[in-house]
Amino acid sequence: MKAKSEKTKPERGRDFYLNPAFYQNRELSWLQFNRRCLMEARRKETPLFEKLKFLSITSSNLDEFFMVRVASLQDMVNADYNKPDLAGMTPGRQLEAILEAAHEFVQLQYSTYNRSLLPALKEEGLEIVQSVEELSEGEKEFLDRYYETDIYPVLTPMAVDSSRPFPLILNKTLNLGALLRRKGQDTGLLGRGKKGKKKKAAEGLEFATVQVPSVLPRFILLPGEGAPVRIILLEDVIRQHMPLLFTGYDVICVDTFRIMRNADLSIDEDEAEDLLVEIEKQLKKRQRGQAIRLEADSDMDKRLLKLLKENLNLADSEVFSIDGPLDLTFLMKVYGLPGFDHLKEHGYERPQEVPELPAGCDLFAQIRKGDIFLHHPYQSFQPVVDFVAAAAEDPDTLAIKQTLYRVSGNSPIVRSLSRAAENGKQVTVLVELKARFDEENNIGWARMLERAGCHVIYGLVGLKTHSKITLVVRREEDGIRRYVHLATGNYNDSTAKLYTDVGLLTCRETYGEDATAVFNMLSGYSEPRAWNCLSLAPLWLKDRLLYLIGRERDNALNGETARIRAKMNSLCDPDIISALYEASAAGVKIDLIVRGICCLRVGIPEVSENITVRSIVGNFLEHSRIFCFENAGIPQVYAASADWMPRNLDRRVEIMFPLEEPSIAEKAIHILDLELADTEQASILQPDGSYERVDRRGKESVNSQKIFGEEARRAAEQKKENALRTRVFIPETSEGHEE
Amino acid sequence: MAIRTFAAIDIGSYELQLKIFEVSKSRGIREVDSMVHRIELGTDTYRTGKITSRHVAEVKRTLLDFRRVMNVYGARDYKAYGTSAFREMQNASVVLEQIELETGIHIDILSNSEQRFLDYKSIASKGELFNQVIEKDSAIVDFGGGSIQISLFNKDRLVTTQNLRLGVLRIHEQIHSLDAASTAVAPLISELVNAQILPFARLYLKDRTIRNIILVDDYLCALMQQRGISNLSMTEFSELMQRIHVYNRQNLARMLGVRDDNIPLIFISAVMLSRIAEVMKAENIYISGVTLCDGIVYEFAEKQKILPPSHDFEGDIIACAQNISKRYKGSPERSRTLESICLKIFDATKKIHGLSHREELLLRIAAILHDCGRYISMVNLAQCAYDIIMATEIIGLSHKEREIVANVVRYNHEPFVYYEQRAGIVGNSYASGTSISGISREDYLVIAKLTAILRIANGLDRSHRQKFENIRVQVKDSELEILVRTDQDITLEKGMFGKRAAFFEEIYGIHPVIRKKNPKRQTKSEL
Repeated sequence: MKAKSEKTKPERGRDFYLNPAFYQNRELSWLQFNRRCLMEARRKETPLFEKLKFLSITSSNLDEFFMVRVASLQDMVNADYNKPDLAGMTPGRQLEAILEAAHEFVQLQYSTYNRSLLPALKEEGLEIVQSVEELSEGEKEFLDRYYETDIYPVLTPMAVDSSRPFPLILNKTLNLGALLRRKGQDTGLLGRGKKGKKKKAAEGLEFATVQVPSVLPRFILLPGEGAPVRIILLEDVIRQHMPLLFTGYDVICVDTFRIMRNADLSIDEDEAEDLLVEIEKQLKKRQRGQAIRLEADSDMDKRLLKLLKENLNLADSEVFSIDGPLDLTFLMKVYGLPGFDHLKEHGYERPQEVPELPAGCDLFAQIRKGDIFLHHPYQSFQPVVDFVAAAAEDPDTLAIKQTLYRVSGNSPIVRSLSRAAENGKQVTVLVELKARFDEENNIGWARMLERAGCHVIYGLVGLKTHSKITLVVRREEDGIRRYVHLATGNYNDSTAKLYTDVGLLTCRETYGEDATAVFNMLSGYSEPRAWNCLSLAPLWLKDRLLYLIGRERDNALNGETARIRAKMNSLCDPDIISALYEASAAGVKIDLIVRGICCLRVGIPEVSENITVRSIVGNFLEHSRIFCFENAGIPQVYAASADWMPRNLDRRVEIMFPLEEPSIAEKAIHILDLELADTEQASILQPDGSYERVDRRGKESVNSQKIFGEEARRAAEQKKENALRTRVFIPETSEGHEE
Repeated sequence: MAIRTFAAIDIGSYELQLKIFEVSKSRGIREVDSMVHRIELGTDTYRTGKITSRHVAEVKRTLLDFRRVMNVYGARDYKAYGTSAFREMQNASVVLEQIELETGIHIDILSNSEQRFLDYKSIASKGELFNQVIEKDSAIVDFGGGSIQISLFNKDRLVTTQNLRLGVLRIHEQIHSLDAASTAVAPLISELVNAQILPFARLYLKDRTIRNIILVDDYLCALMQQRGISNLSMTEFSELMQRIHVYNRQNLARMLGVRDDNIPLIFISAVMLSRIAEVMKAENIYISGVTLCDGIVYEFAEKQKILPPSHDFEGDIIACAQNISKRYKGSPERSRTLESICLKIFDATKKIHGLSHREELLLRIAAILHDCGRYISMVNLAQCAYDIIMATEIIGLSHKEREIVANVVRYNHEPFVYYEQRAGIVGNSYASGTSISGISREDYLVIAKLTAILRIANGLDRSHRQKFENIRVQVKDSELEILVRTDQDITLEKGMFGKRAAFFEEIYGIHPVIRKKNPKRQTKSEL
């Protein structure tokens, strides 16, 4: 029997661990994450074109952040909702801090673009033309023609004068704003009348705007053969041709601008319920469509800037002065330009065949042999697609049930589900319409599934269904058998090539029973009396996690080995964090891999000294959630669709599933351990909330994503070699020979 | 391997449940799907005696959904039962027909005793644990929407079973109408329970202590099972009660991790169980984890002879009847004699009467309860016996079967009233609780056949002195020959036999005769 630990159980209540000083504000933590992505664009080891991709990602990330999170905070401020967050910051204070950090971040983004990327691109033979002066005569002529034939027909210039109101500038669109003066008019000082009194800008100059059409490519490849490849941005071409749009006027200035609006009428699900009530009460106060950010050329004419600020009702802090092209997401398209493959990352393997599931195998027979673990994108997502496709055509399949959160545009899974329904299977699909930004897409194919005869459930009232589960019910010789696929990632064959996720294929009775119960619940039937192995949010998952963390704490206090290794996208649930603090204080060694938001602070004396947090930002988006609890030497390993966030644990349908097969549990632990050893793509959370890259001195270089790829390749090759070695040659007989 | 897929449907007072099972000799019973739809039908019927059209529509929708699931699994065999909400429904037959027409699902209404018997069967089917628990003084406390059934066991035999109108939903309705403060809800429930459990304890518990309670319910059991609890001591249960003693729906939902619409029923069940356990001085509570659907499939498997019986349920029914007889001061010796003679006649005349084993059981119960009316009146014992039997639940018997037993006992003592006669006098002397409705002509024939046997048996022990050491019965040359061995005077038995024999002959067409043989002299070797 092990000796009891010297430690005594800390006599601290939950409130002690909820001290705001122990928490990081989630928005600032998210900005830190985006900064880590930006750092990838600044690292010398990152191939040049990968840098473009990272910079583009930070730009689209920031847009989404403003549209959802900043908009929500703005709502709170408008509703006079002053409840401080976990870190003790009121919404107003958070907004201030976010804007300050965001300004600094944008400066860093553009300094990266201007000082690092543009010169490097030029050196590699790709020039982004920044002014007309840089164009040759031939290029100018080409662009004039292109303007006339392609651009001009889709432009809609809008001017403002006393008879026309300020035009509606659409959210996230790129625009050119101009100040115009009617030809032949007095060229005296703008805005001053005859008596020298101040006048409205519009009296002296007229404002006009034109949206940069989103139907056209953002940049134009200039004619020419070989190096260098030259491109010019669409807005620069329009800018050049502005006088043609406003004949009879002198164009005084033309500058690009872009606004972000609080246009999302649904409240972000991350917010507290009492906030939702408050907002509903104060709906009238809410200024729908209010602009919350203006990005403008850094050298924008001051008069134009003032006019935009006044008409959009924006404070100085909400105006972002941009030293370069607005909306850097175009860099993702630049990434796709042909001829630059040598500037991209090539150290990563393509998705490999899953050794247990060779092409053309009987999937169901293979699953019957034992649970199968899938690790994407190192291993192919095809078995999951095939699983549904096989069930759709299989005469013994009685029913297929699946939850769909986000699927790809032309999803093979959706096609298989339709086919299954046409083949007379009972197909039940829960389509989560509330998946952010995917609503319209989801409605479209949900209708398509319904037309094919599937029973479609359009989400649950008040809850987002985020779980990823498929159930196939077959009638076999020895009775009904259920096959279940559970995963941490969506049923999206496109993102499965970019996101790291894990999945499990099993026909264990306990999983089958639970999966059946999950779908019955999702169909509106009551919860089962008990679960065999799955833990579901919002009712049971948090309790289960708290129990598992608490058990480690108790084990530590009893002198047993106690450790938690966990990997997730975000960590901000106060109940979970305070439980982790309590466990750490009791001596539990806690190693966390949190890619994004982390509200937990490390290094707080006697609170979180035993906790380490690292974030991996790499070639693939880290997306799997894997939790390992030491359990006094008999580790219990789980995978889940849920992060440790209130929205996942309290307001979503999520599933955590155990990896019971020892060899599979080992694989999952290997994922955790290798990522904990990563020296190349990991950043370590510091006590002050910042992140620092791993100090590589004296350490062997470990790039976990590359190693996982190599391991998957080796495993697939090994399997093929073994198959060849054990191959039995079967002589052809006359019976089987057809002329 | 022959696997049959069976669907069990329970239309309860607060939920509709479908369970799909696979039943086979090799693997036994295997549940493959279970769906529960919440719908408080009991709220309608307990209050107004009718079910609202909105609820009828919802039942139809749900059953159509169930039908779809049954089709998916290819479940051709099914059984659907309505329970207390349907029992108390004035327009049940109309509603049932509507439902059947639209959904194709035929629903039978279970009597309370049949329902509880199925619950009981499902617990017993769980095997070892059940047998271990009932070895000691135990009780099954079965919570329903409209009532609670308490069944007491002693040394693995059922002692008694009583139905108390303390259903979870019924109490919920009462509490709801009182609009009590949250702190007053628990005391109010306890008070309502006291009004019935204390008289029950006085009558049936007396000085007995019930050590184990086996709980059958839909909500507390689910709560415990979610936590992986299969039994808990009273100390542990008291700790739970301490935590949930104040009725606050939202807090409790959060604390217990269940949907808040389940909280009222969980809370009421917990307080009721707490009070019952206190009165019984129970030490342990076992979580049965069974539902009526488990009993339905068990019955199916048993009837189809796919599974052998896991417990002597018939023995329980007999034990229950014997306890009723004991309560009404019946003579156990005479009952045994009558039962034995009845069985001999029944066996000998099998080819003539064509009755089944089930009717044989009814005959045995009638024999056991033949004299219970005497407890009330020595003169009007026929009617009193009838009333006692009809007012006393005999677990495992349907209402119709109880009616058959009650009539057999009644006509053992008074002239037989034929079906046609009886039909003509409804609303007169038999109006109170003895309506002929529900008893078909075929059932009435069963009454006549069993009465004829019981009368003969009764006649053979007219003196109540069990004069015959051995009786042999056989059908020989159009006669029912009853060979008795005795050295006692049987003039009385022979004298009274004639009238009874005439009735028997009328029913079976054979003439019963008694033939006496003197007992064999015992040889030395036999000594």
